[in-house]
Amino acid sequence: MTESHDPQLLKGVLSLLLLHLLAERESYGYEVVQRLQAAGFTDVLEGSVYPALNRLQRDGLLGTRLVPSPNGPARKYYRLSEPGRRALAESTAAWARHVAGVEAVLSRPLSEAAGHEGGH
Amino acid sequence: MTIGWFDRLRIERLVWMLDQQLYDLPRAQRIATRREVRANLVEASADVGTTEALRRIGGSRGLAEQYLRAEFGDRPRHSWIGAVFAAGLLPLLLNFVLSEAARAFQDGVVAAHGAGTFTWSGVAGLQTALTVTVTGDGLVSRSGGGWTPLAYVLWALAVIAFGRLWRLRFRSSHVAATSTDK
Repeated sequence: MTESHDPQLLKGVLSLLLLHLLAERESYGYEVVQRLQAAGFTDVLEGSVYPALNRLQRDGLLGTRLVPSPNGPARKYYRLSEPGRRALAESTAAWARHVAGVEAVLSRPLSEAAGHEGGH
Repeated sequence: MTIGWFDRLRIERLVWMLDQQLYDLPRAQRIATRREVRANLVEASADVGTTEALRRIGGSRGLAEQYLRAEFGDRPRHSWIGAVFAAGLLPLLLNFVLSEAARAFQDGVVAAHGAGTFTWSGVAGLQTALTVTVTGDGLVSRSGGGWTPLAYVLWALAVIAFGRLWRLRFRSSHVAATSTDK
């Protein structure tokens, strides 16, 4: 579990994370944030998660329903739609390819000479 | 953790400040967003305290920007609010200027000539000809001096410019939401 995450990297995978979490089970906005934080993404802020959920809903990847809450206003629960499931599968495969490509580059050994070339 | 009335006021303040910046969203969506943010903030306040909940959601401006980006994408956006302000305020300004010009002409002819009927072509391009009639007993009446077609065209162009409405052409097609919200 990392201490913190690069916001730019996180921004790129936030939609994928949200789709996966909501594929596991439906949740309302704040619960999604809590689940992300429990997964180690402690620096994820609500201010970026709620609009992202909104965008996924607008794109037809999420459905919603309102459920009365004991604590006050009704909660808006998000669940994955059928297009959302397809998008999750595609994004997961794309992420795996991306990671494999990055790993392939990073696993190359660095020669001693390469480290000193910039000094001349 | 229970939320007191002061904390509820703080939440409400952020929610309404956010709402004021989301007028470019469709009305139903703006209301749904407002309700959702309120519900989540109440939940978060009960969990971590209102101060922390408000800190983590960021300012209303940043949050509004995120919602607008989620709706319209990252490219430059149009602004209905800007267009409405221009549509409402520019006629007031233009009418004030034209009215002052007409009054200046009227005061001039009254001071210089006294009774009679006097015609002026108006502010070039923007105003139709206006006629001032001064009777012997000092009564003054004015007719004409309205907007020319060019003035209407300029007004329309200003509304488009202030609202950046040409960007509407590039707006992404709106995917029908699957929401069941009412």
